[in-house]
Amino acid sequence: MKKKNKVAATTNWPLTILLIAGCITVIFPLYMAIVIAFKKPSEMTNDIAGALSLPQSWSLENFAEAMRVTDFWHSLSYSILITVATVVLAILIHSLAGYAIGRSMAKSKFYKISYLYIVSGMFVPFAILMMPLVKQTAQMKIDNWFGVIICYLVFYMPMNMMLYSGYLKNIPIALEEAAYVDGATTWTTYWKVIFPIMKPMHATVAVLTALGTWNDVMTPLVIMSGKGANTLPLAQLTFQTQFGTNYNLAFASYLLALLPILIFYLVCQKQIINGVVNGAVK
Amino acid sequence: MNKKLSRNQTFLLITIPVLALFFCFNTLPLIKGLMYSFTNFRGFGSYDWVGFRNYADLFTDARVGKSYLFTFKFALLATVVTNVIALLLALGLNGKIRAKNTLRGIYFIPRILGGLVVGYIFGYFFTYILPAITGKGSMLSNTSTAWIAIVVVAAWQSIAQTTLIYISGLQTVPEDVYEAGAIDGATGWLSFKNLTFPLIIPFFSINMVLSMKDFLMVFDQIMAMTKGGPAQSTESISYLIYNNGMGGGQFGFQSANAVIFFIVIVAISVFQLNFTGKKEEQL
Amino acid sequence: MKERVIATALVAAMLIGTVFSAAGCSSEENDGKTHITMLQYKPEAVKAFEKMEEEFNATHDDIVLTIESPNDAMTVLKTRFIKEDAPDIIGIGGDVNFSNFVDAEMLMDISDFEGLSLIKQAYKDIDKNLEFVPTEGVYAVPYVANAAGVLYNRDMFEDNNWEIPTTWDEFMDLCETIKQSGQQPLYFGFKDVWTCLAPWNALACDLAPADVCRQVNKGETKFIDEYDEVAEKMLELLEHAQDDPFAYNYNDACTAFANGESAMYTIGSYAVPQIQSVNPDMNIDSFVMPGCDNAEDNVLNSGVDLQFCVTTDCPNKEAAYEVLSFLLEDSTIQTYLDDQNAVPCKDKVFELSPALDGMLDYINEGKMVDYQDHYYPSEMSVDAQIQTFLLDGSVEKFLTKFDTDWLRYNRDIIRKVQAYEESGGNE
Repeated sequence: MKKKNKVAATTNWPLTILLIAGCITVIFPLYMAIVIAFKKPSEMTNDIAGALSLPQSWSLENFAEAMRVTDFWHSLSYSILITVATVVLAILIHSLAGYAIGRSMAKSKFYKISYLYIVSGMFVPFAILMMPLVKQTAQMKIDNWFGVIICYLVFYMPMNMMLYSGYLKNIPIALEEAAYVDGATTWTTYWKVIFPIMKPMHATVAVLTALGTWNDVMTPLVIMSGKGANTLPLAQLTFQTQFGTNYNLAFASYLLALLPILIFYLVCQKQIINGVVNGAVK
Repeated sequence: MNKKLSRNQTFLLITIPVLALFFCFNTLPLIKGLMYSFTNFRGFGSYDWVGFRNYADLFTDARVGKSYLFTFKFALLATVVTNVIALLLALGLNGKIRAKNTLRGIYFIPRILGGLVVGYIFGYFFTYILPAITGKGSMLSNTSTAWIAIVVVAAWQSIAQTTLIYISGLQTVPEDVYEAGAIDGATGWLSFKNLTFPLIIPFFSINMVLSMKDFLMVFDQIMAMTKGGPAQSTESISYLIYNNGMGGGQFGFQSANAVIFFIVIVAISVFQLNFTGKKEEQL
Repeated sequence: MKERVIATALVAAMLIGTVFSAAGCSSEENDGKTHITMLQYKPEAVKAFEKMEEEFNATHDDIVLTIESPNDAMTVLKTRFIKEDAPDIIGIGGDVNFSNFVDAEMLMDISDFEGLSLIKQAYKDIDKNLEFVPTEGVYAVPYVANAAGVLYNRDMFEDNNWEIPTTWDEFMDLCETIKQSGQQPLYFGFKDVWTCLAPWNALACDLAPADVCRQVNKGETKFIDEYDEVAEKMLELLEHAQDDPFAYNYNDACTAFANGESAMYTIGSYAVPQIQSVNPDMNIDSFVMPGCDNAEDNVLNSGVDLQFCVTTDCPNKEAAYEVLSFLLEDSTIQTYLDDQNAVPCKDKVFELSPALDGMLDYINEGKMVDYQDHYYPSEMSVDAQIQTFLLDGSVEKFLTKFDTDWLRYNRDIIRKVQAYEESGGNE
């Protein structure tokens, strides 16, 4: 067993080195992806040396072409819109739900059942929901982005609610009681005391929800069914046709789509760590 | 809020709309899907009611049985591998290390790469690079090893998410727990076992449920790596449900499959939650 | 403070939502013109279709044509049917989806469309045969086809003085010769199961009756009696494959063939663009799969790659016919051919890709048979079953399972067919 979490003010160098060495499992595939994104189809070969060799020129042509084909800025803005709206609503609604249900389920059967009911919804295979949802959203006239966002809110509710109520288990109820003594309502206590404390969890939920929506093809594909604008993953389907795939353009496009979400992750994970300071209230 | 609502009233006011929303977009379509499982619906056009024929077929279909075996074998191994590595990684990334943010960022990348990229790169790895190193044939063309290759890829991708949840769980462990432990002489494994782990059990159980569920529903990695081959040895349940239900004309039959599958996973997860729930109470 | 921020965020979210839902109700078309929407399933041909759309709208004042080329069009199309928002015209392949659409009564009988007389009879027959239960009507206008057999590297053949085989024995001898010269005769991408169907279909055209599936549905024969030779010859082909053909996918095989790693590749004309993307200067030609012992018995494996159907709910049949007529004009077909590598179904001579030279005679004579897999229900995964068989090597086991599975997966269709037969439909 590795020794870690020892109380030490200095850097744990063996651990750092071990973790850096482990990065190879990520860097190597990433290296391949980057190299392929710069190559021309005619540079693709079936041998190892050919696949790992550097491209003949580091031209940004593939990236420019991929951006043109996917109507990048347009698709990107729809992807961002859907993802941001989903994440904001998820943090607001799911944290409330996690709070109300999580705090009450030990005492009340109703909340315990509600919790299990929502969590069990996570296990419904999307394939069985798909056709009825398509029909339902069309009848409700929300077979558009709005419908997609609503669907996401429901799909991610079980996981996020689990996460929030799990986090709340480690937050002492005494914190809230102090606020009640000052005459605050449950509602204001929640927003003033509990919501800020859950910041690390908000960041976690934000990252996980954003990832799911950012990469998702199926929901926007079937709900919007080809009408209206494409999200990035929808636009990227264009690289794969029945009898051929342009890997070079596709990889360039995937690398471009990876950047915004990676930046978002890096921003959020600062919040996860900052949470230590805030969360350590006794 | 003009009038003061009691704590319970507030909770009820929050819970009811949430439940309503959930019912509308999850349970309602599920009930409709359940209805299709008693038909020979193709996904479009006219259909007939067939009673319990789809369910009867399900239990006599060797292909479905095989897919259950594969899926469980796969999910079990992948869940264990993912959670062990992710927990170690989370402890490491939460430790006193340099370049913490960069490292966390790098280890998160696998989760962001799309199926096409993962499929191509790992396809290449298993087809060309690994055989060159080991001198053996491709793992993906051998029915006894292909599923392990998929475990590797699926774990590689989902470790990122599992680690993230563990890291955020570790944030609820106050620094002074370690300090107190250190005074008592608890270090390394002992400190983890007795101090850290009990505090992150809620996250352990969430991760077990989430990863078990994700792996039982494995689809993307199958599509990217083997498309069910070789010799139909890696057809997961979701793969059958999706490919034959949506892509093929078996919508009704696969709806029945999905219903049974849903019941099975719920049963497993309730068992898991109860099990870890008891552990939580014990500690 | 925080509450206010959150309240504002909530209101903003609601507003965004309302705007979206309002945008969703598309404006009613009140310009007095007839609107025709068409959805076609080949995203790779989007440029050609954009050009056609533009041309049509420039020359027609009373009809506005909108052509959609969404990605994953088959899924999109199925969701449109569910929403009861079907496009007026659909451009799909002549495959089992088409059979299902006809059977589910999603398509309109267009037998009174005059343009049908311009189409080669062979392709109209191919489409007709796709109906599970024979109908009176016509449901599709075949537009372009593709063909499958064996692609070969023209330069390698010329350098080595190899001759194009016309019988099975010649083919096997050729493979042997190539192997002895130290080169690779065939390269397969059997990791992608669908590529197993390419040689399978081509051999089945030569060796099994064209309507074998229909005969089985009628209960007249069994696959184990009709497909055994096809299966045996698949195993023979496998002997000339590269090492471990199940480790490589379609893309690997295309790349290998493009780089001269194999002399031949049993695939269809549809693979040519992918091969040429790796090696743009490659000199590719093709020949018909020589499955028979007698050269005259070989037939070309060709099927409808793109056809147009009018949906049942289309309110403006006349306008839809107008669009179909436009699509069948020589100049429109040429627009398509300039963009895509295809064989037009119109009975007229067009200039075709040099990669089809070896198949030209068969195309012109109409000596061709459809892909067998167009009759297979996709959920039966015959492609995966062939892969399983090739790994296992037992013809009997494979075809016995084929027969049992067939009855199971086609249960409802067989019932319909037998009801039809009993009612004396086969006059």
